[in-house]
Amino acid sequence: MTRPQQRLVFGSLAAVCFAIASGFAFLGYWLTLPFAGLEVGLLAWALDALRSREGDYETLTIEGDRVMLEWHAGTRGERREMNRQWARVICDCGTSGRNCRLSLSSHGRETKIGHYLSDEARLQLAATLRRKLQA
Amino acid sequence: MSDAAHAHDAHGHHAQPTGIMRWLTTTNHKDIGSLYLWFSFFMLFVAGSMALLIRSELFEPGMQLMRPDFFNELTTMHGLLMIFTVIMPAFTGFANWQVPLMIGAPDMAFPRMNNWSFWLLPVAAIMLLGSFWLPGGAVAGGWTMYPPLFIQGGVSYDLTILSVHIMGLSSIMGSINIITTILNMRAPGLALMKMPMFVWTWLITAYLLIATMPVLAGAVTMLLTDRNFGTHFFNAAGGGDPVMFQHIFWFFGHPEVYILILPAFGIISQIIPTFSRKPLFGYASMVYATASIAILSFTVWAHHMFAVGMPVAAQLFFMFSTMLIAVPTGVKVFNWVATMWKGSMTFETPMLFAIAFVCLFTIGGFSGLVLALAPVDIQLQDTYYVVAHFHYVLVSGALFSIFAGIYYWLPKWTGHMYNEALGKTHFWLSVIGMNTIFFPMHFLGLAGMPRRIPDYALQFTGFNQIATVGAFIFGFSQLLFLVLVLKTIKSGAKATDQVWEGAEGLEWTVPSPAPYHTFETAPVVK
Repeated sequence: MTRPQQRLVFGSLAAVCFAIASGFAFLGYWLTLPFAGLEVGLLAWALDALRSREGDYETLTIEGDRVMLEWHAGTRGERREMNRQWARVICDCGTSGRNCRLSLSSHGRETKIGHYLSDEARLQLAATLRRKLQA
Repeated sequence: MSDAAHAHDAHGHHAQPTGIMRWLTTTNHKDIGSLYLWFSFFMLFVAGSMALLIRSELFEPGMQLMRPDFFNELTTMHGLLMIFTVIMPAFTGFANWQVPLMIGAPDMAFPRMNNWSFWLLPVAAIMLLGSFWLPGGAVAGGWTMYPPLFIQGGVSYDLTILSVHIMGLSSIMGSINIITTILNMRAPGLALMKMPMFVWTWLITAYLLIATMPVLAGAVTMLLTDRNFGTHFFNAAGGGDPVMFQHIFWFFGHPEVYILILPAFGIISQIIPTFSRKPLFGYASMVYATASIAILSFTVWAHHMFAVGMPVAAQLFFMFSTMLIAVPTGVKVFNWVATMWKGSMTFETPMLFAIAFVCLFTIGGFSGLVLALAPVDIQLQDTYYVVAHFHYVLVSGALFSIFAGIYYWLPKWTGHMYNEALGKTHFWLSVIGMNTIFFPMHFLGLAGMPRRIPDYALQFTGFNQIATVGAFIFGFSQLLFLVLVLKTIKSGAKATDQVWEGAEGLEWTVPSPAPYHTFETAPVVK
């Protein structure tokens, strides 16, 4: 969704909710208003959470002797370059279903990768990376 | 050499614990869909057993099996449970399973919130059912929770209010999840006007839920404060207005009827084209008709309360606005029939249930039109005619569409074909049973038999006995359905990926059974 579309969705829902609740509040039945407020607040949080995460990505590129790792999550992000000969793949489990941690290590520093992957995909990625780094 | 591993927008927290922890902690849309559907199925038997007790008591005039107050508790609880713990969760189960598969998304937008949405429901159901053992028994004032009865009851009434709040919270979180998933996570190329009808109907249903839930929450909270904190919103003894509760309740309640039926329209709109081997006739008009029904549903609430007395102008307004809803509903029925027209039709169990839906829901719609006429409604208010009407809408409408949807998508979910002979037996027993229960109720209502009464005058005996026999046929035939589902999960012919020859859509492009993770790379829709 683009931002104007998101505003339209939120605005239309919030307007209907508050119009109905305000109508009842005007007649004296004001306890509908706080619930409308809570609900619209939850909707606003949901849309905002999605928007703040829509640019999340993780990219790993192996080019010649260079390994380039770039990730962005919410407001945080990092770009790191490693030497292919020094880069090591660290995976703390052998089977899926154990919340595997996968990271790349070089010069004593580890960077977690595969944030958005399932365990199976992390294990697959670990095997692929080991093969590519040794090639 | 250049090699890139790129991941975007999948959910990394889908580790798979085993045993009970898998189900308690799961954030996978398919697991949560299955949880919703099994919960709903279990509650169908619980609330259905209450219906059988009610029908057993009504087999003969006089009091046979229970005290009148327990009869009232059963009637109230049957309504509350069927609406909030059977029909709504079943459709949410379908949404969880099917919406991501149909739009090419890897999961719902908020998987953890999805988990909470589900697990709130058993808590609410336990509270409702537990109230049977409280002093004074369970709530007995009708599922509509009208004051003054609801203000005067015992502690179970407070528990019911809390339970309704929890179920409302669950619905709101589910709706926000569905709206954000549909609007943000569609596969590239899947424009809104290319979405499957089931997805459209759920999008509109979620809008309706978000618009109406604060009204219900506010209404029951005001009941709670009237009961416990000395306010007088609806308490006539303190100058409050009990009739206003009815207005507020039905302002939520009538859109709720469409919340219960719009996803059914969506399921039927998927099934009929598949087994007619033709695209859905008038897709755009179906979308606009669904939206029109949703908008009009906010303008008709007072047709539930013509008998409380209102100005003639208001009666006319609500009468005509109610009749107006028949227009978009008629468009839908016309389009389903037109889709079947000259189609290469086959009659597998999902299609049989879909055709039964079209025929029987139309009967429920027409009896609704009869009740929309203010002078007629004043005669029929609170009679069995009303009971017949809304059961034709909710049993042969909502429940039959749920059966149809389960038969339709079960091979995709389990990887096995169901037993067609058993499915057809279940269908015929359900259709015969359902009509045997509810058709005679029209006559009972026209003859003046009031609803929610455990005893009745002698002349109503015959039709009541027919209805009770039908109830047992219908009730026990659902055990056959349970056997069929369990058999399909364990064994059965291997289902192909497409399952049905005429099926179209993204869900049929993934293997059967659908893998735990699907569409980790978004498909492109042309």
